[in-house]
Parts: sequence; structure tokens; C-alpha cells
Amino acid sequence: MLAYTLKRLLAGMITVWFIATATFMAMHMVPGDPLMNDKAVSAEIRKNLEVKYGLDKPVVEQYFIFMGNMLQGDFGISFTQQNRRVNDIIRDHFPVSATLGLLAIFFAATGGVIWGALTAIYRNRLPDIIIMFLVILGISVPSFVFAALGQLMLVNINSLLGFSLIPVAGWGTFSHMLMPSMVLGLGTMALLTRLMRSSMLEIVNEDYIKTAKAKGLSPMRIFFKHQLRNAILPVITILGPSIAAITTGGFVVELVFAIPGLGRYFVQAVQQLDYTVIMGTTVFFGAFLVLMVILVDIIYGFVDPRVRLQ
Amino acid sequence: MSDNVTPSFTPDYTPASHGQSVEQLSRPSLSYWQDAWIRLKQNTRAIISLYIVVSLALFTLAGPLLWQVDPALQDLNQISQAPSLPKRALLADPYERWQPIILDDFPSEPETYVDVDMMPAPTGVQPLGEPTTQQIRLRWEPVVGAGGYSIYRNQHAPEGLNDLGLPLATTLGGNEISYEDRLNLEQRDYYYSIVPTDGFDEADVYTTIKVLPTIAITRDEATQRGLIDADTDIQIGDSLSLRFHPFGTDYLGRDMLARLMQGARVSLFIGICAPFLFVMFGILYGGFAGYFGGQLDSLLMRFADFVVALPFLLFMILFKIAFGIGPGESGVLPMLIALVVLGWPGTARLVRGQVLQIRNNGYIDAARLLGAKDSYLIVRHILPNTMGVILVTLTFAVPGAIFTEAFLSFIGMGVAPPTPSWGSMCNEGVKTMLSHPHELIFPATFISITVLAFNLLGDGLTEALDSRMRSR
Amino acid sequence: MADKILEVEDLSVEFATYGGTVKAVRGVSFDVNRGETLAIVGESGCGKSVTVQAIMGIIPMPPGKITGGTAKLNGENILGLPPKEANRFRGVEIGMIFQDPMTSLNPTMTIGDQISETLMVHRGMSYTDASRRAVELLDKTKIAEAAKRAKQYPFEFSGGMLQRAMIAQSLACNPSVLMADEPTTALDVTIQAQILELMAELQRTENMSIILITHDLAVVARMADQVAVMYAGQIVESGSVDDIFYRSSHPYTLGLKEAMPTNKRDGKKTLTPILGSPPDLFHPPTGCGYFARCPYAMAVCEHHQPEEHHLTDSDAEHQARCWLQHEGAPHIKALNQPGADQRD
Repeated sequence: MLAYTLKRLLAGMITVWFIATATFMAMHMVPGDPLMNDKAVSAEIRKNLEVKYGLDKPVVEQYFIFMGNMLQGDFGISFTQQNRRVNDIIRDHFPVSATLGLLAIFFAATGGVIWGALTAIYRNRLPDIIIMFLVILGISVPSFVFAALGQLMLVNINSLLGFSLIPVAGWGTFSHMLMPSMVLGLGTMALLTRLMRSSMLEIVNEDYIKTAKAKGLSPMRIFFKHQLRNAILPVITILGPSIAAITTGGFVVELVFAIPGLGRYFVQAVQQLDYTVIMGTTVFFGAFLVLMVILVDIIYGFVDPRVRLQ
Repeated sequence: MSDNVTPSFTPDYTPASHGQSVEQLSRPSLSYWQDAWIRLKQNTRAIISLYIVVSLALFTLAGPLLWQVDPALQDLNQISQAPSLPKRALLADPYERWQPIILDDFPSEPETYVDVDMMPAPTGVQPLGEPTTQQIRLRWEPVVGAGGYSIYRNQHAPEGLNDLGLPLATTLGGNEISYEDRLNLEQRDYYYSIVPTDGFDEADVYTTIKVLPTIAITRDEATQRGLIDADTDIQIGDSLSLRFHPFGTDYLGRDMLARLMQGARVSLFIGICAPFLFVMFGILYGGFAGYFGGQLDSLLMRFADFVVALPFLLFMILFKIAFGIGPGESGVLPMLIALVVLGWPGTARLVRGQVLQIRNNGYIDAARLLGAKDSYLIVRHILPNTMGVILVTLTFAVPGAIFTEAFLSFIGMGVAPPTPSWGSMCNEGVKTMLSHPHELIFPATFISITVLAFNLLGDGLTEALDSRMRSR
Repeated sequence: MADKILEVEDLSVEFATYGGTVKAVRGVSFDVNRGETLAIVGESGCGKSVTVQAIMGIIPMPPGKITGGTAKLNGENILGLPPKEANRFRGVEIGMIFQDPMTSLNPTMTIGDQISETLMVHRGMSYTDASRRAVELLDKTKIAEAAKRAKQYPFEFSGGMLQRAMIAQSLACNPSVLMADEPTTALDVTIQAQILELMAELQRTENMSIILITHDLAVVARMADQVAVMYAGQIVESGSVDDIFYRSSHPYTLGLKEAMPTNKRDGKKTLTPILGSPPDLFHPPTGCGYFARCPYAMAVCEHHQPEEHHLTDSDAEHQARCWLQHEGAPHIKALNQPGADQRD
């Protein structure tokens, strides 16, 4: 298991290197000049800035400087917010995005497993039909519509109550986090519910369920000890990619609910062509996602002995 | 001896001639695709989805021929108009300055002090002249002891003193008993409430009147917007018909239906072309890797793994910046390219897996022993057997691409305005969500229905093409 | 009269499918004697597995449905009991092992835990006691290093070992009947022999009855005391193993025998396959199910269901469902018939 983890981490580091290189290449394909935005800079200031950001050097050298700084965990200084380090921006705003994302994943995973199991138990009966209808809705409606509807709902609840029970926007307390994370997790929850349902239905027909029945176990025991545990396995495997989808999907929710997350910062940086922030955030997000996928795989190993012991 | 019961009839022990051959087929033989089609046809949801997809195609391609309205044209008479039947407008004189009614025989300042709590609500509140979107004029009877009146406007019937709506003005004399409202008037119900004041404080009483203005348009405006010709014989006070917007208009007065059609063209173009292209590329890449295998295969697939690891939406945005959008460009092409560059590895992995699996089947070896060339094996055996999986992938890739386009356009990183796409229309619509929900609802509904249809169609195809489900 | 532990009477099972209702089992009756082995033989899809699964109450319902009959375990009907009642005998009085040991054990639970689970549920044993007993059971089924093996997962076992573990699991509560649904079909030949030997040995030591389902006549010859031959959802012939092999009284039994390879070295025997396929059980034939494939078919067979004929050629009960057993039917040389020469 340890060897497996180390191997995965090493492969993950190579992947992060690839992400960094691709980011660097993409950013150096940009037409124009990163300093173009600064209005009316004198030739002298411009020269100084170019030296400061290393833009006067050839691209290859810039690449090595960039990679060197990355290795030391230094993402440079923002172009538009002078004297603010990208590391600081990430440190200030990433925890917000991560909290939102993890809460959303929590909602999605627990909801997906519970609803999926319920639909399988009530197969082709009313609860199944209702939940599956909602699932199809959840898969087909874009996240920003949910975000808008969620906000609208809060507005209505608050105006009905006459006071602000749950804040409509902003960040800070747990009640701020509730609606955005639920909205963010909704699409993934729908996907996981579907997966859980089909996984459950497949396992009902497995031979070992027949064995369990022949052993004289109670239906409850069969459900919890034999069916559920095996049915959750495929759900765990797609949790890694789901985290990726949810954290980047968080941009919209951050925008709609005015949450000071890294996603909103990224969008802002793109609009202002703030090179270092764009590159730093992209590489950071990429590394985070790679780490999450590895983490999920390792967790999977603990749940599935077939992976752990091979 | 046997001890069995003798049957009630005389058994016929002559040898039977078997009518047919022992080997009989109970079902007709069907090809893979015939069989799949039959099963797809039994799936009501998939067939309804198929009809929806066809209607969407018609909406996008034939729609603009039937509904020939310029999606960029602004109808300034009807801004943020909810869906409605065709509307008519009153031809009106240009606005003229109006003197408010100030009574001479009534004191401006109250002569005797009346406590505000004792003041009665104003009576006789009525519109003065025809209320139009040009102006609404109101008058009422003076209240004894009043030193002025506050005028409020609301869009629903007020439920109490705190719900009177927008404070428009406060007149400064008990004898000034009229008000002219010219503030952003639209054709809808307005609830005006008049509250008397003692000059400083407002009373706790009010009188509400409902007013529905008609749309007014001046001759100049009408001519300018092409509603009438300069020499049309039409009098002031006559009505003329305005442009018809069955789905309403957006915040710039552009026709929603025409924009939805043009937006469909953008969204569906990206939603269908991008998956088609990256699935094609994925087939070539994955098929190549899977068929030739070995060192090359692992190298190619390792690269695909790297591309999968890129944070998808962030790189969509990065590529968008990298390609750059010049002035006047729509940004459709950069998005298409970015989707293809980032989208192919999924299909490549899938096709590679399929090819590897099929390549090891006995019938491939058999064909090879009979002297089949690589090209023959690929065209005759491997491609047809992967077609089902590819078709399903393609169907499921479409909603993904539509979502991506909508997502990016929504956060303003996608299609550049003024080009409409469903996503960018949602982006504009969400800003006026509270007052004009139709601007968000229509594009969002179109996205949802399209995604739903492709998802259900994909489900149906998966079931129909699943070999485990055959001959059921 | 032997001591009957399980008496099955007129069992019928149907399945509702997309294509209609399949009458999978159509009035099956048999008895199992204490300490003896009953083999149920027949080709794939003839309803033999469904028969025992219906008795155990583990066919999925719906789509499955038991439409009639009784199954008496020690005189008490156990057919169609609700799960709670059924669990009094499932795993306790009747143990069961399945065809494919690879898929019949939970992949994410250790072998030891799966065995001790039965003991904890039925015997109320503590986890430690149950685990110790599980190791003993594994030891009894001749699994080397049982203590270490008990902590392993199914994927770490070979097919033969898994089937031993399955047997250990089914024997946990000392059942009086073991149902073995093609226990050796998925195993290779050498392992097959070991498993059969193990089963025979355990049967002796535990005084257990076995219902052995198989399509392999060699297994039948080796293991069975009584044999029931099933075809198209019915038992077409039943009797002692000698009756079936030496006094075959149904053309289908004869067909099975002729299709069976032997190791006789006379070189003269050619294998004769039974042509055609079993009837469509969506629409079971009105007459004999074997009519279309029977080389001796007569006009009467097409539309008239043959009765069960009791043959009196031996001490044991020997029955066959065939018109040829009716007096007045033409004489077939290969077949054991009334009035025919009673020779092998």
C-alpha cells in the first residue's frame, strides 16, 4: 500500500509538471503584451516592470525561471494588484473555495448514496419514479439556474419571514454556506444517485446475495452488510473526477452568491489579464485536483481489498 | 406389468412423423442495428427525446426562415417585455409641459391644526386624462388640514403602510392636488397611493388607485422605428400596432424568439460540432493506440492521461485567452477548438479499450488466419463492433458540450456579446431575474430541454445497443 | 420404508418476463431420504436449479412465482414462507452451495467473516467464538493453514478452495440437508473429484442428505443413491441409480446416456447427441415435452401428457413419464419396458 501511494504521488508530480508546462505554453501564446493593460507607462517604467517580471528574457529562460519558482512554491507577484503575492491571494481565498467544494461533495455523496439506495429498494414504485424524475432534472438543468433559483428561494423565504433567516449572498457563517454548497452539489448528487441505483440493481442479481439469502440472513443484514458496501464502490471511484467538476463548477456559484472564493478571483484575473495570478491559480487548482484524485484512489484501496492487496 | 391408470381414450401408438425439422428457429434473424432499432422504438422516452431533438433542429434551421426578425434590432417601445399577444399603441402628441392643479380656494398651509393621526384618507383619486406610458396624471380631493400629499407607486396592491412601494414625490401644499408620473412607465398595472401630510409628517391613512396605462408613441418615434410611413394617414389618438414579440423582449428590447433561434444556432453548433470532432479524433487516437499496442500504446495513453488531468474549465478559459478574441469576433471558434483539444481523451480511452478487447477475440484471429489485412479487419470487424459504444459516447458528449458552453458564457468567458448563445442569454437574464424572469427562464429552459433530450436518447441507445439486452 | 427428510409434492414455478410467463417448473415431486444423495439431472434450462431455489425461497419474487405445491422438511411445509420464518431453516436445516464459487462469495468480506456470520446469526455466537469455529470448519474441509486463510478475501483463493470454503460455510450449523447446485461445473476435472470426495466424506461423518444438481451423469454415477431426471420443467424419470443407469425407462434418459462419454476402451461407442432444443416454456406443449426430439415419438405423444408410470422392476420406486410404458405400446429394444426382457 505504501509503495502504491508513493508511486501514485510520483506520477501525480509528473502530472502537475505537465499542467504547469501546459499553462505556461498557453499563456505565452497570448497575443499582445501582459503590460499592455497598464495605461500610459513610460518607457522607463515599462523597462523596469519587464525586468521585475523577467519578461525581457527569452521564453526558454522564462520557462525555467517559472518552473524553478514553482518548485519553491512561489507563484510570483500579481500584475494588477501591485505588491500582492499570488501565494497570498491563494492563501486568502482558496480556503473559501475548498470549504464550499468539500461541503458540496459531502452533500452530493451522502445524498447520492441515500437516494440511490432508496430508488433501488423501491424499484419501479412511486418513490423510485419521483426520485428518478428529480435526478433527470438535476442532470439536465445547468448549475447557474439552480444557483439563481436557490437565491430566489432565499429572497422569498426571507421576505415571507420578514427577517433574514438565511443570508442571500456573502460568506462567513455556516448559514452562508448552506445554500451555495447544496446548489453546487446538486448536479453531482443526481449523477451519483443514478450510479448508485444501477450499482445496487446490479448487485441484487449477484450470486453472493443469493448465497447470503441461502445462509438465512435477514433482509436488513443482507442490505447493509452485503449490498450497500459493494454498491458504494463504483460511487467512490468517480468521486475524484466529481471533486474536480465541483471545485471548478464553484465559479458560477461564487459569482452568483458573491462568495470571495478563488474561482471569482480567477475570473477577475482573466478579465484583467493578470498573468501571474492566472498561471498561479491554474497550476494550484491542477495540483489540488491531482492530489484529490490520488487521495480518493487511496481511500478506495482501503474500502476494496482487491485493490489494497494487489 | 405396469400399474398405471388406463387412459380414458385409446392411445394411438403409430410412430409420429415430425412435421418440421427438429431444428426450428422460433424468431426471425435480425441484424445488430435492426434489433437495436426495434428496442429503441419500444422505449417511449427515447423516442420522445428523438422528436425533441428533431424539433430543435427545425427550430434552429427553419425557425429563422419563418420568424424573420432581426435578433439585434432594439424595440425601444417594448423593453424587457414579458411574452404577450401583439400590442397596440396610441399615437400621441409629443410631451408638453403640464401645470399641476393648485386650488385657489383651499389653503396651502392648514389654517387650523389637525393632528396627522386624525386626518382622513384623500377621496376622489382619479386619473386625469388618458393614462399612457408617456405620462400618468392623477388628481384627488383636498384633505382638510393637509399641508401636502405624498405619492407612492407600487406594482402590486399594497398590503399596508409599509408596502406602498416607490415614493415618487411629496407635494408642498394642501392645495396641490395632482401629480404627473413619467418615471419609466410600462404597460402594466400600477398602484398609486396618496398619503396626506401635515407638511412634516405623513398620516397613517392612504388611498390607492389602480391605473393601467396604454402604450403611447409619437408620430416621430413611430416613423423613426418604421412602424408607419411619414405619409401614413393616421391621427393623434388613433391606435397602431407595435411589433409582435411572442416570447417578449430582453433588457435592450431585442426580440427573445429571434435571439433564442440565433442562440440555438451558436449553442447547438458548439454542442454538436465539438463532440463530433473530438469523438472523431478520439476514435483515431484510441483506435491507433489500441490496434498497434505495445510501447506506442502506453506512450499515447500516458499523454491522454495528462490531458485528462488538466482542470477542464480553467483550461477552457486559458485557451480562450490564448486564442484571443479580436473585435467583432464571436468567440465561437476558439471555444470549439478548446473543447476539441481538451475533450478527446475520454473517447480515446474508451475506443482503445474496446479495440483491445475485440482484437483478442477469436474471430479476429480466425479472420487473420484466412489472410485478412489490417485495413480489412479494422473496417469489417473492429469498427462495426465499436460503433455502438461510439454512438452512445457521442450522444452523451453533446449535453456535456452544451453545458460547458453555457457555463463559460454565463461567467462571461464564452461567446462574446452581442452574439447570443443560450448561456450568454442566461447571463444577461439572471441580472433581471427578479423583475423580468422570462429573460432567464426561456434560455435556461432551452438548455435544459436539449440536455434532457440528449441524455434520455443516450440512455435509450445504451439500452438498445447493449448486447446483454439482446433478444429480449 | 426409508426415513424421508424432505418431501416435495407437485411444485410449480413461473417467471413473468418481457416475453410472457415462463412455466419453468411444472409439477415436480420427489423425496429425499435421510443420509442419502438425490441427484437431479437434466440439461441447461430444464428447471433443476429453479426447483431447489424455490424450496429455499431464494428465487427473486417478482418476477418469480411459486404457483403450487408443497415442500415438507421433517413434515413441516417450508414452501413460500415469509423471510423471517424461512430463516429458521435456511442455513440451519438446509445448507446450500452454488455453481460458481468465484461469484458466490462476497468479494469485500473475509472468508472467515462470511462463515462466522452464519454462526453469529443462527447460533448467537460471539464474534471470537464464531471466528474460531470458522477456522475449524475450514480445517474440516481440508483447507491448509485455515487460520491464515480465514483472514483472506475470496479473490485470494482458487476456485476449488472457494468451493471448499462454500461447503464449510454451508455446514456451519450442521444442516441435515445440503443442496449442491452444480457444485463442480465451474471447476477443472481434478478439483471436481476432490470436491466430490469431500462431500461424500462429510455426508458420512455428518449423516447429511444431499440434493445434487448436475448435468454430468458421471457425477451422478459416483455420488447418487436416488436419481431424478428432469426435462422441460418436469421429472421424466426417477428411481435408484441402478434403475436409471441399467433400466432406463424414458427415451430422454437413454439419450443422455448415449451422449455421455465413457472410458471404456472398446472403441465402438460413438457419442450420439440429442438433436434439437427443449420446447419453448413460454408455451409449454400440451403433450410430452420431449415429443419433438424423441426418436420413438408416437402420434399419441403430441397432444397427450403421459402419466407417471410406476415400474415394478426393482425394490425401489422407479417411475417414468412416457407413453411407451403404457401397455400396448410398441416394444423398443433399448428401453426398459413392461413385458420386455429385463436385462441391462
